[in-house]
Amino acid sequence: MARLWKFFGRFLRHKRPLFLGFLTIPIAALLDVQITVMIGDALDRLRGASDTEFLQALFWTVLGIAVVRGVFRYLQRWWLVCVSRYVEVELKQDLFDQLARLSFSFHDKSLSGDIASRLTSDVENIRMFLGPGLMYVAGALVMVPAALFTLIGLSADLTLFMLVPLVIMGLGIQLLTPLLHRHSTAVQEKQAELSHIAQESFGGIRVLKGYGLEGSRARRFEKASRENLGHQLDFARARGLSHAITETSHALTFLPILLVGGLALIDRTMEVGALFKFIDLTFKVFWPVIALGWMAGLYPRALSSAERIDVLLSEQPDIADPPQPVVPHAVRGELTFERASFTYPTGTAPALASIDLHVPAGSMLGVVGPTGSGKSTLLGLLGRLHDPNAGAVSVDGIDVRTWSLAALRGALGYVPQDSFLFSEPYRDNIQFGNPQPLSEQRVRELIADVCMEQEVARFPAGLDQLLGERGVTLSGGQRQRTCIARALARDPRVLVLDDCLSAVDTETEARLLESLRRAGSGRTLVVAAHRLSTVMRADQIAVLERGRVTARGTHEELLRTSAWYRETWRMQQAREELLAS
Amino acid sequence: MSAHKEIEDDDKRGALDRALLWRLIRFARPHARAFALSFGVLAVVFALELAGPRLLRGAIDGPVGDAIAARAADPAGFDPKPHVRSLWWWAGAYLAVTAFGFLFRYFEVAQLTRAGQLVVHDLRRQLYGHIQRLDVAWFDRRPTGGLVTRVTSDVDSLSEMFTTGLVTLSFDLVKIAVLLVVLFWLDWRLALIVVALTPVLIGISMVFRGGAREAHRLVRRRLSEMNGYLQEALQGIRVVQMFGREKLVSERFAGHLDRYLKANVRTIFLFALFFPAIDWVVTLIQATSVRLGGARIAEGELSYGLFLQFWFYLAMLLDPIRELGERYNVLQSAFAAAERIFGILDTKPTLRATELAHEPAGALAHEPAGVLARDAAPPRALEGPGHVRFERVSFAYPSGPEVLSDVDFEIPPGRTVALVGATGAGKSTIVNLLLGFYEPTRGRILIDGVDLRELDPRAWRTRLGLVLQEDFLFAGTVRENLVLEREHVTPAALERALIGSCSDELVAKLPGGLDAPVAERGATLSTGERELLAMARALAGAPRLVVFDEATSSVDSATEARIEAATRSLLEHRSALVVAHRLSTIRRAHEILVLHRGQLRERGTHATLLAMGGLYAKLHAMQFHDEPPVSVPQAPASPIASPTASPTAR
Repeated sequence: MARLWKFFGRFLRHKRPLFLGFLTIPIAALLDVQITVMIGDALDRLRGASDTEFLQALFWTVLGIAVVRGVFRYLQRWWLVCVSRYVEVELKQDLFDQLARLSFSFHDKSLSGDIASRLTSDVENIRMFLGPGLMYVAGALVMVPAALFTLIGLSADLTLFMLVPLVIMGLGIQLLTPLLHRHSTAVQEKQAELSHIAQESFGGIRVLKGYGLEGSRARRFEKASRENLGHQLDFARARGLSHAITETSHALTFLPILLVGGLALIDRTMEVGALFKFIDLTFKVFWPVIALGWMAGLYPRALSSAERIDVLLSEQPDIADPPQPVVPHAVRGELTFERASFTYPTGTAPALASIDLHVPAGSMLGVVGPTGSGKSTLLGLLGRLHDPNAGAVSVDGIDVRTWSLAALRGALGYVPQDSFLFSEPYRDNIQFGNPQPLSEQRVRELIADVCMEQEVARFPAGLDQLLGERGVTLSGGQRQRTCIARALARDPRVLVLDDCLSAVDTETEARLLESLRRAGSGRTLVVAAHRLSTVMRADQIAVLERGRVTARGTHEELLRTSAWYRETWRMQQAREELLAS
Repeated sequence: MSAHKEIEDDDKRGALDRALLWRLIRFARPHARAFALSFGVLAVVFALELAGPRLLRGAIDGPVGDAIAARAADPAGFDPKPHVRSLWWWAGAYLAVTAFGFLFRYFEVAQLTRAGQLVVHDLRRQLYGHIQRLDVAWFDRRPTGGLVTRVTSDVDSLSEMFTTGLVTLSFDLVKIAVLLVVLFWLDWRLALIVVALTPVLIGISMVFRGGAREAHRLVRRRLSEMNGYLQEALQGIRVVQMFGREKLVSERFAGHLDRYLKANVRTIFLFALFFPAIDWVVTLIQATSVRLGGARIAEGELSYGLFLQFWFYLAMLLDPIRELGERYNVLQSAFAAAERIFGILDTKPTLRATELAHEPAGALAHEPAGVLARDAAPPRALEGPGHVRFERVSFAYPSGPEVLSDVDFEIPPGRTVALVGATGAGKSTIVNLLLGFYEPTRGRILIDGVDLRELDPRAWRTRLGLVLQEDFLFAGTVRENLVLEREHVTPAALERALIGSCSDELVAKLPGGLDAPVAERGATLSTGERELLAMARALAGAPRLVVFDEATSSVDSATEARIEAATRSLLEHRSALVVAHRLSTIRRAHEILVLHRGQLRERGTHATLLAMGGLYAKLHAMQFHDEPPVSVPQAPASPIASPTASPTAR
């Protein structure tokens, strides 16, 4: 509960609407009770003599009160539900900012679907409980005592008898809850099974048809569906019972009204108007009481959601600025790896083992090696995607861990392997890394640098072309080149290309590399690649195998010294020829 | 289907589609009794609901009223006893009605759900069976997730449609009509105001729900945009952080949140307005009843009991009216699901007229017994030797270019034919054609001289030993995955298959051996282990013809050796079509077919092809480098002159 109160603190930030909203609850409730009381009193007064004037006045008074009650009910919903939405939006923003802040080690180990559900269903569970939920509870907490107070004044006995069915209902529902829960879980499990069978059958349709399994799979699905039917019926029976208990208790409250009230009328200890008040207030009290039960049902879910959100919000990024971050005046772009080793938290073998490399400012390093040899991890150490477990990585002789994170990453132009682009206008993607918008001319220059002029010229909306699902879909090579332009836009001293030319044809690749060298005089270039032709002109090439540098040198040197390099070169050349045939 | 698309699909849906409705009702027909019973129970519940207030009136106008009158007439000689006794009877009757009410309210939910779920069960298994029968090519174009949604949540929302939608909605209309009549009959002067204002209430309810629907749709769209951006930002978190642009994405997200909030505020406004508005009209009706009724009570024209009964019925009338709009919305969204489901049911498999003849659409649903009988029959033994012959076979996807052109080859009994070629050369198309997953657009495939199209595809496939690349393991036990419900796979055959495929050690190592559980898609096993088990699965059926798509991914050398040995026993003394990636497999082949861009460009044995120095030699240099070159036995190799491509020698 303490956890939930912490979140209620967020509601308290909106004091005015919250206060006003809660204020309207008793007003509306009391007015509602008042209408019943007035009509009840009128019924008594009518006995014997007709009083048209009185009735006419009553009519207008009731309508008038109803208008005021309506206004307050409107305001109550308006203020309180709005507050709950404000809180939802603020909470989502905080969660988002927290996610944007957390390091890759966090994002690597969490499933994005999981995180998304923190922001959606967990936030919603809390909002429902603390927003509309509390509104209903507050309503019930005012309405029920107000009604009881009125009724006890009329007849304490009758009020007591009336409460009996309500108590029975409470107990009945209480007893039914585990049953309902059990059956609803069974239904959910069966539905998950149905979904799994369908998933397997449709996903493995070739094996299924290949082995003629259609009949047996269909029987299996039918069996699960039949079992689901059974569970649905069990669940329906439990729900039927709960429905019957609720409705019957409602109906039973009128039994004491009929009997005890009737006896009191015969004894002349009660008037017919009082009987009316009992009836009408029962109508008005019953649903708030049901709402209380509904809230009790929401509570456990809200609590566990609050816990999960709390955990996420208190997570600390493990890569952050040092206490005294270094911000160099100018960056030259000299890179050094000194016995740098790194093992992923979930990994058993080191992804990088004792890497020693020196890249002079303005030179080009090529990184090659088989899939999974650690190329991306090596490049990631430069911008502190991860910190080495042992050894060090420095830029301009300064350990990256003592740099200001912003200055370090600002000096890097990073092009990821997955060539990720936002579904936003093309221009926005290019200038993504720049705080200030770029001039049209500069954007065009960048596009020319990555050999994309012709493609961009064909965009229906030019530079404002929306990308992604609702815009144009770029080919792999176009995406990769756009990502390079985005990195170049910051005029970085060090350009890091993580195997981001794989989908670009060799001819364009050659032009692009030429243009990269031309445009970035004095820029350090680090290029990881599968295709050796990409890095064959690099000043030095490192061959990574299983996290170790097994060979280093220029293209010509490696053809002599590295078996892997030589064999791979031969195969790739053969493939090129085949593709050309 | 993306969330956006689904929302837009919903948007397009306007009025309820009558044809669709009739089609849905046809599904309910076999369960007409269950639905009739539901209506019956609803009617009884309604009758009992009406009876309660009538008893209350009876008690008040009867014993209570009599007692009051008697006391007024003769205060001294008043004896309350007979009146009290009578009151107890009325109370007893009320209790009885309530007790019956308990019983029937229970049946109300249970029976209504039963009727809905029976239809859903039928529809679900018919839909599943139908999907399963569709062409493999149809599956290739669709994400599995969407298909799963069709047989799960879409079908579930139809159950809402049958229960909440059809039965409750139509009964609510009956209730409203009956109550209006009863009110009229009780006191037509009081009822006039109710009759006059009921359309106003229904109007408010419908107008509001229309508006709320629009507003909700906007909220859903904003929510899906916001979640889309969230997913995107999470996906690109590396780029965001490396470029130091956390603030930018945070602002963009704030923009999404703001639009989402604005959309929500509109629905809050509508709801905040709706409930008080309805309540106010209700109070207007009540106040008018008091105004008119009060005057007539005073004049003695109207009894208190009748007034109270009227008051009760008024409350009963308002509930269904309030719910009307909501039920209508449920109906509408169920229609969207129904349309998606019928879209699939209307798709017919295009392959194999014979398959349809054997198993008419819907047979699974209507006559499960027939399917059972059919299925229980063991696959026919290979009657002929199983000589496969491709005669000038071409294939193209609908409205696509030809991916296979004029391919001619034979697999004589006992011989292994290997297919090699670069990615996209047409190797898997040939496999799909042989399995009958695709049909040739030109040419024909003959099995012992009979066109494959004239064979029962399931009987044909069950004769084959099939090992697909990234073969699919189902959730269950290892044994279930190896036997796959083939009756001729005896424990002894399984044992032999395990030994033959060198997977006996692997299986012995698993906790529980053959009864070890396999996770969905075999996720707990390595790629190599999955391939071994797939080979054991094929071997267990003692097939005469093997179709084997070798895995390309590399495995450790110990597993590699096992796979090689397993491959040997799989191919020995059998006809086989192998999409080959391992040199050892290729060398064992009696004939190698070299495919390039859908055409058969070279054929021969490993040695002769290598000696030719053509395409195969290049492919060999590229793909197969696990063994030193072999000495070349002399056998004829033949480059195939292709009408469209230049000769391969270059």
